Amino acid sequence: MKNTLVKKAGKKVAAIALIGSVIFSGALAGCSNNESNADSDKTTINVWGMGEEAKSLPKIAEQFEKENPEIDVKVQAIPWDTAHDKLLTAVASKKGPDVVQMGTTWIPEFASANALKDLTPHMEDYPELQASNFFEGSVETTKYEDKVVGVPWYVDSRVLYYRTDLLEEVGYKEAPNTWEELRDAAKKLAERGEGKYGISIDTKEQTLGFMFARQNGSMLLGEGNKPLFNEKEFVEAVSYLNGFFEDGSTPKQDLGIDIVQAFKGEGILPMFISGPWMVKLINDQAPELEGKWATAVLPAKESNLSALGGSNLSIFEYTKNEEAALKFLAYMSKPEVQIEWKEMTNSLPANKKSWGDKSLQGNEQYKTFGEQMENSQAMPVIKEWEEIAQTFLTSFEKIYRGGEDVQKEMDAFNKKAQEILAD
Amino acid sequence: MKGTINKKIPYLFIAPALILLCLFSLFPIFVALIISFTDIDLAGLADWSTISFIGIKNYLDVLSDPIFLKSILNTLFYVVFGVPLVIVCSLGIAILINYGKAPIFKAFRAVFYMPSVTNVVAVAVVWSYLYNPQFGLFNYILGLFNIPAVPWLQDPLMAKISLIALALWRAIGVNMIIFLAALQGIPKTYYEAAQLDGASDWKQLTKITIPLLRYAIFFVSITTMIGWLQFFEEPFIMTDGGPLDSTTSVALFIYRNGFQLSNFGYAAAGSFILFIAIIIVTLIQFRLQKKEVDY
Repeated sequence: MKNTLVKKAGKKVAAIALIGSVIFSGALAGCSNNESNADSDKTTINVWGMGEEAKSLPKIAEQFEKENPEIDVKVQAIPWDTAHDKLLTAVASKKGPDVVQMGTTWIPEFASANALKDLTPHMEDYPELQASNFFEGSVETTKYEDKVVGVPWYVDSRVLYYRTDLLEEVGYKEAPNTWEELRDAAKKLAERGEGKYGISIDTKEQTLGFMFARQNGSMLLGEGNKPLFNEKEFVEAVSYLNGFFEDGSTPKQDLGIDIVQAFKGEGILPMFISGPWMVKLINDQAPELEGKWATAVLPAKESNLSALGGSNLSIFEYTKNEEAALKFLAYMSKPEVQIEWKEMTNSLPANKKSWGDKSLQGNEQYKTFGEQMENSQAMPVIKEWEEIAQTFLTSFEKIYRGGEDVQKEMDAFNKKAQEILAD
Repeated sequence: MKGTINKKIPYLFIAPALILLCLFSLFPIFVALIISFTDIDLAGLADWSTISFIGIKNYLDVLSDPIFLKSILNTLFYVVFGVPLVIVCSLGIAILINYGKAPIFKAFRAVFYMPSVTNVVAVAVVWSYLYNPQFGLFNYILGLFNIPAVPWLQDPLMAKISLIALALWRAIGVNMIIFLAALQGIPKTYYEAAQLDGASDWKQLTKITIPLLRYAIFFVSITTMIGWLQFFEEPFIMTDGGPLDSTTSVALFIYRNGFQLSNFGYAAAGSFILFIAIIIVTLIQFRLQKKEVDY
């Protein structure tokens, strides 16, 4: 008697579990397919945007929907610091967005995992995607091996921000033009008194050291990706940067204050090197500084090559709506759309034609970036670069904080880089 | 017949928990063990055919990685100073709160428990302002007494101590509650008998309270030790392992390699070393516990 009862109970549990799982999996499947099934002539594409700018993406997407009524765009905004994890999950599960915004430095990693679609076969149908429309440097970041896995969306480049009033006090009517002048200006500014410095060197910024090394003529990687980090050009650049720490032109320890706070007022840090997003931040947070600060192209040694960054748009390999995704990419690449995007988010258009627009030409700050863009180069497009850059930051910390010998530390770093590249 | 059914029924009740345990705890551990012998990276995640077995290379590499060795030393530092501090502080506070009879002590119980229920990220943000070298409250107070500013999170040794202080403050709450529960389980008659014999408060504390709290202390020391061996959130949010990797814990090292650099195999090897270390430490503690006499 009891036996059958239990058996029945067991069966019931099994049945409920089965029904439950069916409903559950049905609901899961529904999430991804329902919309396209309900309205069969409408395709939905999922777009993953990152960071602050993703909040403005829906507005652009709306305009796109107006032009392409058969396509529905769903935008998901992901903060930059969790984006990498989220993309990893998407790659592992092979379920993800249709269109994804990619930071330029992530391209090699995800391209090597075959997570991004090769756009080469579609270039003829969608002339907006062709490389000739964009800055050469940012086109480089969309290439992986012999594939083109993205289209440049917006670009950024690093320039020098400086306080015109404070620099004039120490005898610089214009921004420092050369390495020596920068060094000298920083030193003089630091001599203003206790707790004041000349320039901010962001020790968490991955590109800074490599950027200076390139200005000194270093190739970073030689033929066959042989690291050249212990050669004279690179070591000199690191010593140059370390010099700022050694003579107190830049603080060895984190001051614990925001760069805008340090830039305004008395100018604890009257110079820093950063990207275009700082223009808006300074205007918003320190409006009283107007007329007292400016941007300038980087001081030169052999060149004044800057680091090029920004974002690309890519199509996720496992998308089912390739056609619609391509249309979206083409739309976002149009010069007029890129200008509109610049108005919304202050990010600089990657399309060269957009730069003819007067809103960019008439603005001093943006003009600086346009000029610097001509002399900007992205970090090497290899998937190991992230790890190499991290290792460099650790090595550099040992130098400026731990007082290690530059040549010795760079030898060690070069060896580590060889190991990373050999794996 | 009836007996066998009765014996089976309990399994039905524990089945959901057991299935979840297998699916989300044991299975991942097993997968991690396999992964730790491979060179899996992001490409391997998308296409399994690119994964290859490389034997114990990951283990050899991770054990010769200077940053991993440094993170082990850091973690030991956290354990050696953190665990006794947590036990002493939470036990002390529990005894004081238990000793007091006024209603205010109930309020104190809530006050000390509060940090444990507060979100760690919120706590870390507030504390990084307290530790701020320029406008932090701590340095401001030191300044009032003309003591020079302390580089709370900027100096390699000081940063470790600062993180321990923060984690200690967070850990007191839960452990204090455990001690309080144990304290209230001690029969009053023991104290009455001792008082009749004329034992002082100190004698009562050392001869009755502490010995009878033995199991609670044992439990707290094991859970705290495991917690400190997996120390992660505080260094992750407050210092990101810096300066000069002086606050990098083993868990943070694993996270960095696994999720920031996509070296999943390498990170899995690191996590297994941590796993084994935790098991060994726990076994040693159990062994020590058994040797003591029972009351």
